[in-house]
Formats: sequence, C-alpha cells, structure tokens
Amino acid sequence: MIDAATHTRIFKILSDLSAVPAEQIKVDDRLREDLGLDSVSSMELVSMLSEEFNLDIELEEAVATTTVSALLSLAERRIPNA
Amino acid sequence: MADDVLVLGANGYLGLHVVDALRAEGVEPRCGRRKRSNVLGLLSRKANRVLADLDDPATLREAMAGVRTVVHVAGHYPRTSLDPAASLALGLRQATTLREIAEEAGVARFVYVSTTATVAPRPDGKPSTEADVFPAAPDWGLYHALKWEMERVFCGSTRMEVRLALPAGCIGPGDLRVGTSAMVVALVRGMDPPHANGVVPLVDPRDVGIAIARMAVREDAPSRLILSAESLRLHEVLVRAAETLGLPAPSPAMSDADFLALAHRSEQESLQTGKRPALSVEIAELTVHGVPLDGTLATRALGLHYRPSTESLTDFVRWATPLGFFAHSPESRP
Repeated sequence: MIDAATHTRIFKILSDLSAVPAEQIKVDDRLREDLGLDSVSSMELVSMLSEEFNLDIELEEAVATTTVSALLSLAERRIPNA
Repeated sequence: MADDVLVLGANGYLGLHVVDALRAEGVEPRCGRRKRSNVLGLLSRKANRVLADLDDPATLREAMAGVRTVVHVAGHYPRTSLDPAASLALGLRQATTLREIAEEAGVARFVYVSTTATVAPRPDGKPSTEADVFPAAPDWGLYHALKWEMERVFCGSTRMEVRLALPAGCIGPGDLRVGTSAMVVALVRGMDPPHANGVVPLVDPRDVGIAIARMAVREDAPSRLILSAESLRLHEVLVRAAETLGLPAPSPAMSDADFLALAHRSEQESLQTGKRPALSVEIAELTVHGVPLDGTLATRALGLHYRPSTESLTDFVRWATPLGFFAHSPESRP
C-alpha cells in the first residue's frame, strides 16, 4: 500500500490534468472514459508522476496505464517506501 | 560547446531524434519543454531539461540565457482547420515573440524546423529544390499559409543567422501521436484507409534529426534545406507498406475532391465527439497539394544518407508493436 502523503500527491496530479476534483476521483476510474484524459494527456500523466517522484518509467509501462488503480500500482511498485 | 544549444520541443517526435543526433555530434543540448508535456523520452535519456513555453516569455528568456544556437522544433501545429483565424494568430504571435526573445538573448544561430509544405511546385513539374519559394502565402488552406507566414517571421531577423530545415512527411520510430504514420497504422490494423493519390515526399525522422543537428553545429550548412528521401504517390506508399509488412493491398485512391470532403466531414464530427478527427484537413491538403521534391542538397552539403523507406516502415512497426498501436481495442492504443 502506498502511504497517505504519496496517495495525495498522485491524486493532485490526476486532478490537475483531468480538472476533476481530487475527492471525486475513484480508484476504479478509467483515465479516458471516466476522467476524460485522451491518449496524449494519459502519457503526460505518467510523465508527471515520473518527474514528481524521480522515476524511470518505460514507454510501454506508460501506455499500459489506463486506470487510476493501474497508476497506483505503478507507483507502489516503483516509488521506494511509498 | 557544452550547454549552448537549446532545442525547443525536445520531447516531441522530431525533437528526441534531434537530441540523439546532437549528442552524436558531441553536443549536450538544453532540452526545452512545456510544463505540461510528456517528457518520458527526455527522462530516459537523462537529458538536461529546461522549462521553455512559447506562451510564457519569461521561461523562454531563462532557457535562452547563454545559448548560442536555438533549434526550434515546437512551432504551432494546427491539428484541425476548424478555426483558421485563431490558429494563424496563435502561430504568428508565438513566432514573433520567440524571435524577439532570441534576438534580445543574443542567440547567434536559429534553426527553424518548418515543412516541405512551403516549397513551391516548379512550372515544368520536375522535383522542386530549395530555390523554389512561394512569393506569397499559398492559397492551399490553413496549414500551408501558417507555415509560410511563420517562416517569414523568422527569416525577417537581421540579428541572427536563420536556417530553415524543411522535413517531408516522417515515417519511422517515435511517432507517438500517430501523425504521418496514421495510414500505415490503419493498414496494419486490417483497415483499408481512404486516400487520395497526391505526391507525398517522405523521410525517416532519424535522418531528419541528423540533418538538423548538423545544421545547428556546422558553420557551412545551407540556410534552407529540404529533407526528403523520395517523393511517391500516396497509393504507391500504401502498396509498398503493404508489401513490406505482408498485408493486403489497399483499395484504389479516391478523387482529391472526395478526399478533402471526407476530411472536412471528419473534422466536423470531431466537434461533436470531442475526439481527434480520423482524417484532418491538414493531412488531406498536404496530400492533394503534394509537390515532388529534390532532397539531394542535404546529402551533398551535410553528408546525409537517407534510409530506404522499407527500413523506416519496418522500424516503425517494430517500435510501435509493443506499444499497442496495432491492437483493435481503443484501450490499448496510445
């Protein structure tokens, strides 16, 4: 499980990109259908996560991230002590 | 020459190839990017990133401090023709601001990456060269007019050496937004893309990157340079792609008028759906008004060796397959 502070930072990024208030974003939301992100902004989302937490994320991983839960899983796997 | 080349749009399709090519020339560039952008390619390259937003002059001034050469690969690109006046105004405002800031910053050389759409056809129908310039903005739609006007802004500088790179349609690795490669993607997905049969000059984006890097660092590079490996009819491009990739041949081409009408309908539909048009007017106009080009000056002046299109196509498919470009589910397409 990622810690509360990391969770808050990730949801802030999601909210900034989607313009959906962080408290309305659900873990099972889909980036495109539910949050309105297109393919370009979905890539930007993973890129912002990568910059925020100083991560090396491959393009293939970014493309495969299509839901909030997948984004959280990616963060959990890649952020040390998240 | 450690940190005196700034690449604007370094995280984009062509920009990343320019960064790679500059490094091959021994230059570690500053990589300009907008605040909100996909910089995964720059992060994986451990590139020196700086904020440089065309709509934020302060970031441009800061990014250009101490810079001798600017490579501009971030010029406004009209994705649709739905609001031509606004698009033209935006492109010209960004270009004018950028030129003024570069001049004030003391930039000595400015390489502007434009397009072959600004190369005029020759009256004799032979391939056009760098000498074939439209005397006024061509009346071929927004994209042609905007690109011609933007070139004029940069070429109007008397304080910088301005060099124009004119790349043809790029097919090769890195086309994350599926621009020029869209019809190849459609073919591989088993679709039969509608198309006109205009002339399409093509080039590999890696070769474009190499050429632009050399234009940035070499003293004797030309000031206007076409980057085009070959000029083919679009139907021939698709037939060649189908043969190279082992796919069924495409249906015959439609008329120019039908192709343009299809693109306009597609853009109108995009207004309703909010999605990107399946066929943009820009792509249709580029195809219908395509001009055969002579890209050999780049080989003589810069020692550029153009890759064959079969290699570009194969490498594009190899790059795009693990990214899910060819899966049918929209979920898996980037």
